[in-house]
Amino acid sequence: MSSETDDIPEAETEYQHDEDGGPDPEKHCGHGRGGMGEGVKRKEDKRFITGRGNYVDDIKKPGMLHCEIVRSPHAHARINEIDTSRAMEVDGVVAVLTAEDLAAHELATMPTLMDDTQDVLVNDKVKFQSQEVAAVIAEDRYVAKDGAEKVAVDYEVLDPVVTAEDALEADAPLIRDELDDQEDNHIFDWDVGDKEATDKVFEAADVTVSEQMEYQRLHPAPIETCGCVTDWDPGKDKITVHLTSQAPHAHRTLFSQVSGIPEHKVRIVSPDIGGGFGNKVPIYPGYVVAAAASVVLERPVKWMEERSENIQTTGFARDYDMTGELAATEDGIIKGVRTDVLANHGAYNAVAQPSKFPAGFFNIFTGSYDVEAAYGSLTAAFTNTAPGGVAYRCSFRVTEAVYLIERMVKVLAQELDMDPAEIRRRNFIQPEQFPYESATGWNYDSGDYEKALDKALEMADYDHYREEQRRRIENDADKLIGIGISSFTEVVGAGPGKSCDIAGIEMFDSADIRVNPTGNAVLRVGVQTQGQGHETTFAQIVAEELGMDVENITVEHGDTDTDPYGLGTYGSRSTPVAGAATAVAARKVRDKAKSIAANELEAAEEDIEWDRGSGEFHVAGAPDRSLTITEIAASAYMNHPGSEEPGLEAVNYYDPPEMTYPFGSYIVVVEVDRETGEVDFERFVAVDDCGNRINPMVIEGQIHGGLAQGIGTAMMEHVTYDENGNCTGGDFMNYLLPTANEIPNFETGYTVTPSPHHPIGAKGVGESPTVGSPPAIVNAVVDAMAHAGTTHVEMPMTPDRVWENLAEAGLERDPAETVVFDPVGGDEGEPADD
Amino acid sequence: MKAAPFEHHEPTSVDEAVSLLESLDGPTVLSGGQSLVPMLRFRLANPDVVVDINGIEELGYLREEDGFLKLGALARHADVEGSELIAEKYGSFADAAPLVADPQIRNRGTVVGSVAQADPKGDWGSLLIAHDGEVVARGPDGERVIPADEFFLLPYDTALDEDELITEVRVPTPSDREGSAYHKLKRKTGDYAMAGVGVRLRFDDDGVIEAAGIGMTAVDITNARASDAEDHLEGERPTPDLFEAAGESAAEESHPESDEHGDAAYKERMVKVLTQRALGDAAERAGVVKQRRVSR
Repeated sequence: MSSETDDIPEAETEYQHDEDGGPDPEKHCGHGRGGMGEGVKRKEDKRFITGRGNYVDDIKKPGMLHCEIVRSPHAHARINEIDTSRAMEVDGVVAVLTAEDLAAHELATMPTLMDDTQDVLVNDKVKFQSQEVAAVIAEDRYVAKDGAEKVAVDYEVLDPVVTAEDALEADAPLIRDELDDQEDNHIFDWDVGDKEATDKVFEAADVTVSEQMEYQRLHPAPIETCGCVTDWDPGKDKITVHLTSQAPHAHRTLFSQVSGIPEHKVRIVSPDIGGGFGNKVPIYPGYVVAAAASVVLERPVKWMEERSENIQTTGFARDYDMTGELAATEDGIIKGVRTDVLANHGAYNAVAQPSKFPAGFFNIFTGSYDVEAAYGSLTAAFTNTAPGGVAYRCSFRVTEAVYLIERMVKVLAQELDMDPAEIRRRNFIQPEQFPYESATGWNYDSGDYEKALDKALEMADYDHYREEQRRRIENDADKLIGIGISSFTEVVGAGPGKSCDIAGIEMFDSADIRVNPTGNAVLRVGVQTQGQGHETTFAQIVAEELGMDVENITVEHGDTDTDPYGLGTYGSRSTPVAGAATAVAARKVRDKAKSIAANELEAAEEDIEWDRGSGEFHVAGAPDRSLTITEIAASAYMNHPGSEEPGLEAVNYYDPPEMTYPFGSYIVVVEVDRETGEVDFERFVAVDDCGNRINPMVIEGQIHGGLAQGIGTAMMEHVTYDENGNCTGGDFMNYLLPTANEIPNFETGYTVTPSPHHPIGAKGVGESPTVGSPPAIVNAVVDAMAHAGTTHVEMPMTPDRVWENLAEAGLERDPAETVVFDPVGGDEGEPADD
Repeated sequence: MKAAPFEHHEPTSVDEAVSLLESLDGPTVLSGGQSLVPMLRFRLANPDVVVDINGIEELGYLREEDGFLKLGALARHADVEGSELIAEKYGSFADAAPLVADPQIRNRGTVVGSVAQADPKGDWGSLLIAHDGEVVARGPDGERVIPADEFFLLPYDTALDEDELITEVRVPTPSDREGSAYHKLKRKTGDYAMAGVGVRLRFDDDGVIEAAGIGMTAVDITNARASDAEDHLEGERPTPDLFEAAGESAAEESHPESDEHGDAAYKERMVKVLTQRALGDAAERAGVVKQRRVSR
């Protein structure tokens, strides 16, 4: 593990829009108090590494019951009858619920985040394998499972449709026959950009390239599966739900809307969350069943998914069949981008994305490049597979867009026989072009793409590997070298509220800072950490902005009864939105602190200055007449000025003016074994730019984790189905996640291009590596075979798939072609050439 | 894990275990539990009675004795991985052990349990075949020795009777001019083999192959012997061309199915590649040749 530790150039450490001029570069950042730029150890790790985390499944309540869901073995089947009588006979089974029981409470169905209606328990027709059919509530989870085995369901099996392509065939079985206006499996068409202008650019172009590629169905697969503990209190008419939620406040509003329980009588608590990655954004039937059961039985009910239930039924990601096209000049200047997508949405339209666009942010498919014209079209279809389309560690379909454009640039480079680094350089949006409006309507905040690419090329020793690649080709070597580049742009930090919402609620976020009389503080935020390190990094923002020690700040989140309303953590929005709210709230506290300092120091408020270096408030021109924030906090409670209320706290609800656009360049060097198709990583260089950096260690951890997931995506992960709609990739024996053994040494670096509109100049970063790395990896494997004409290898690039591509290119090799045996200790025989 | 209810017995001696197996109805033996426990968890296995042999301390051995390398029923994969004896003399076992599943499974899972499970994608069966190994079982009528070739019948089905307990697997100790190797291809740590080949070569003093054993993983309904390939090798001197012919023959003898691990044609091709690689390593370990690649 290595990391670039170059000092940040002086100009780049200054926060944008900060009159105080930012932190003192002499002391790096943070001033030793754990402020901006310091690699503070994560506050949350003590409890996690000492086994004192508190996850949903750790929660036990007196009298708690357990819920087990009966699931359909078929992908498409009509239910004739459900017989629960034998299950009820099992000792310890308290109740068995079916759609009929839920219908009595108007809970048999629930809305999805895309306004579709999903069965909580199936009443009539099963639409995907493992769909929820009945629920058994019992005294313990073993008995619940015993009871579930005794529920007898009479199915009439129907023909399933598994792929989007088959679903749109004229004679395909109709999946959603319960919908009045639905005559086929088509959900929507969507297009973006100027079709006419783009077509013109393509007609006039020197060269055009086209490639078909599939972004396979993935699962976010967090370590902790989804689940809840629901607890209805009939004395208070209030329900408390401990929930594996990335968005507790939004979930409370939705819970209230679905259940009819008033919102102030719903308390959602997200305790420690064992990873989310977008999987814990939707509401799942199990939550609704457990809540209904608790209300009806007036006892707490726990529902916790098994691993295979999580993979087979909860929000998947990707599943886009894409065609990409580029139009360019002979010199490699890209003039136009065109794409057409077929999207498999599963049995319900349950995509979890809050933008106004049906395909999320997929329309950022022009990437880091200054392109004249672009046009994209997309068709979405229902299939007999689990619903989903969550943003797996990314902003809503930006991953698919980045894959498309970064793959296509490589295809174009091959067509023109140009270096893929050079062709990127020729097309990058230039630093002076920002703010940059793209051909599909995005407004990029800032970037310096060439700088990040140059740094990555240098770190990776690019020229050396190009030379080594040539040498191996000339020597007809057993193992080929491939070098892949991805110079991606992300788009993260939803809102602004005018273009992004959940159920109508604009996507702002919030922070509430209370400084206590003894000078320490509690920060409450509306976002919800699932491993991102908020308890540390947000405390660092407060430390920086108030001159406090990071140790004296506690961050709380995840309890809707006590924390300010927020829209949750996903799409790398926490730092861009709640981080901004935190900085703004801290500055409000600072303003009030100035007023208190003026009172104490008997000076005019406008004469009070705050020194970021020392963190102290002093009278202008008299630095010895100063107060610390601790002293001011005491005054706020014990001697507050008449012009102010007592106390020292502030709240901010922050609606971002724009998204932030983090970016980076990744370079991957692989060695491909021509005998087996195995791929080894030789080098993995990741240069990221997320603007001003709060905690470099947390950022590096985020990058490492995301790169590992990118490797999983490119090399092995795939939720597969057979032709009957059976999920054949529904457990960890078949849905392959990389282990430490499959992960190479990562070499991380960074550049700093602050966001001009963010209060501390920061951008989101947690998702850049998942978004940016798959095309770099695929480009590397393709690059190893490019000399033989290979232009694309589909993900996941398992050895068999890579070998088939080698064989198609005539590059496959047998050991006997290059192995020679030398006699032991002998001098007989002719030594072969090396 | 949410297994169905079962009765749990913990014998502390082989005799006690065997008498439990004889007297109880439909017993299932639990050793390392790395296959059985997931099957219980999925309720794919719903035994009424589980006989847990982990308390039989005498079965934890790994030793050479009476001309055999013997592995007791509680020798864990990790014991093989960490054994100096294995590292020194049993190349194929040393190759295979670190490739079995993942470290957690190797710490708990046993070699004998894997053999008893008889998954065609398991590794150890191929080595028993390549080494002409044997399975030693104890039942109500005493001890029985089953040659590896007769042990594996079908996927998850063996020649073992329900009231028998495997106490040991064993392979003959190697001669001075002998080498063995195991090559396996998998998609990730913890995954079963896409294909695997274990080989053993014994040479005479002139460097001629006296005996050859080849066992194949994941390319047939059981771990399988490539006997035509063995015939190709015996009586010949090792050359890359000879090994290629043997690899070709092994590939022809394999019967892989297309599945998530790749299509049948790829697996056959990999049998050919892995056979050559393993034979080359075995010949080198026997001290007969040194391998070299002419192009890099």
